[in-house]
Amino acid sequence: MLIRGAKAAASIAAAVGVARWLYDPKGPQAKKEEVNFLGTFAKGLPDFSVPRKDGQVISIIKGQDRAKTVSKAIELLGGIERFISPGDVVVIKPNVGFATPSILGATTHPDVITAVVKLCYEKKASKVIVTDNSINDPASCFTISGISKAASAAGAQVVMPKDSYFSPLTLEGGSLIKDWPVYCAPFAKANKLIGIAPLKNHHRSAASMTMKNWYGLLGGRRNVFHQDINNIIAELAMLVKPTLVILDGTVTMMTNGPTGGSVSDLKKTNTMIASCDMVAADAFGSSLLNLKPADLPYLSIAEKAGVGTVDYESLKPLRAEVT
Amino acid sequence: MHLLSGRARTLESTVGVLILLILVATAVGIYFIQRDFNMTRFGIASQEESQGDFTSVGKAETYNNDNLYEKIDGKAPMYQEAGFVKLDTQRFAAKSNSELGFELYIYDMNNAKNAFSVYSRQKRADATDLNDMGASAFGYVAGNAICISLGKNYIEMIGSAESNELVDGMKGIAKDLSVKLKPTDKDKIVELGYFPAACGEQGRTEGTVAGSWKLQIDNAFGFDGLTNAYSALYKSGDKAVTIFLSRRKNADEAKTIAKSYYDFLITNGAKVLTVDSEILKSSGASVVDFYGSFEMVFSTGVFVGGIHEADNKRAAEKGAEVLIGRLKEIND
Repeated sequence: MLIRGAKAAASIAAAVGVARWLYDPKGPQAKKEEVNFLGTFAKGLPDFSVPRKDGQVISIIKGQDRAKTVSKAIELLGGIERFISPGDVVVIKPNVGFATPSILGATTHPDVITAVVKLCYEKKASKVIVTDNSINDPASCFTISGISKAASAAGAQVVMPKDSYFSPLTLEGGSLIKDWPVYCAPFAKANKLIGIAPLKNHHRSAASMTMKNWYGLLGGRRNVFHQDINNIIAELAMLVKPTLVILDGTVTMMTNGPTGGSVSDLKKTNTMIASCDMVAADAFGSSLLNLKPADLPYLSIAEKAGVGTVDYESLKPLRAEVT
Repeated sequence: MHLLSGRARTLESTVGVLILLILVATAVGIYFIQRDFNMTRFGIASQEESQGDFTSVGKAETYNNDNLYEKIDGKAPMYQEAGFVKLDTQRFAAKSNSELGFELYIYDMNNAKNAFSVYSRQKRADATDLNDMGASAFGYVAGNAICISLGKNYIEMIGSAESNELVDGMKGIAKDLSVKLKPTDKDKIVELGYFPAACGEQGRTEGTVAGSWKLQIDNAFGFDGLTNAYSALYKSGDKAVTIFLSRRKNADEAKTIAKSYYDFLITNGAKVLTVDSEILKSSGASVVDFYGSFEMVFSTGVFVGGIHEADNKRAAEKGAEVLIGRLKEIND
């Protein structure tokens, strides 16, 4: 027994020794090329917004043709030249959350991607990147949604998420985004950021629109934030300062969001919104879901934090209809 | 000198070996179970095999409570709160046209009531019921999708396009599943039989609208004290109201919950109204105006029942009268 005890003790000591030898208290070191982008985001994501122009903050366009309505929506805000300059590196962040075809309305429609990418290149953007951190297998999501094909055909670079593309960020003053992995690398050399979101019902938050679209930047087990969905949406809107957001209400997912599943969940609302104010865009969007802004608590939380205004009418939305 | 006798050492070694064998067998068993990522146990072909008019595409996937959100994101809590156990999915492409296909989702919800709950809560307003699903099975077609409640399984077939060819093919798969996963007697949801007789049965022009049942397992109508609440549309003339019932352990519990729900409505701004019906007055039913719609609640025997969001007080009281009469028959 003593001999067996000694053998056991020796085995344990050997195991402890090996573990001690392998232990790395600092954790994995970033590769050299990653250090540069991590340094870029040491103080949070850059501010991609452009100077505000009163009277040209939000546009609301009626029509069925997405290419026409989104072009008109941007035209009324001063044209793409207000937002994109020659040589710009533009990141477009659509909703590519699910591996479902575009007819189901769960992801950004490829036609809007095509139109916006083309507009960027018309103004001599040097590069347009289309990216999202899909919750499901990214390759399937980008392919089955049609976004990969549309983006590539228009000349954009489609970027899929990798583990090394995330950086732990903390939102100053935030209670939820604290040292949390955020999808950052595609923004490292970007000058402009455009968010393009479908208009959807959501089981947890009641609606998924331009502010909820940034949920796709969260890494890790981001489902934990479902418990405090309104505050996380507001904090994401505080963290991300885009150049422009586009809310596609051509077809609205009225029920069973965010995944839907049946065309019966959808309603043709034939409306496209472009905005420099995410809160205003979502406040208007709520009406297409037969909701009021007061039904979406994250709007008032974000407004109080200074992200934007719920009273979109006070911004004198520019309206038009295209056929 | 050995502290243990030879016999004891032999016994010790034997027990040690047996434990090791059990551990190895457990590990091997887990390995093979985890590897079983195919749908054959549902009567569905495995990868790259044919299934009726379809060929399976890609690998089957399985999700549990830890990673369900990776497939359905914000909808995951709805299933998890309703007793979710496991999700199996598989994509299929039509043999005649590879552009057409569907994705099959089979949710194991642990029991038939849980499955029916998620089925009924998501049922689309323009759904067309499938009529040949068999006893204790429910299903409908809505555009490109077929949704089914079969025993403990809630099943969705999400088509890639609105196509009659595709939906007809999916109906064939649905039929296969209704045979393979046929509900047993224990899957019968007896509460659905507590509602008044259906419209159309024996020439009735008034009655419960077949297929309109819903089950809210908890937090029915926003009140956390009202659980296992079944509701359905009751049609009378050109009016339809939502009637609901919940069977409790005993009459005292039913009375307590009915009172608590009434208090909840009042606390949240409902205005008390007078019940006109003598039958309802004698049953102790209450009616309130809740921001322009009418709510009613009562208890009778072991049942809590009532009317939800009616836009006409007379129709609400008519529905409540019929429901009380039906529940009294069951109580007796």
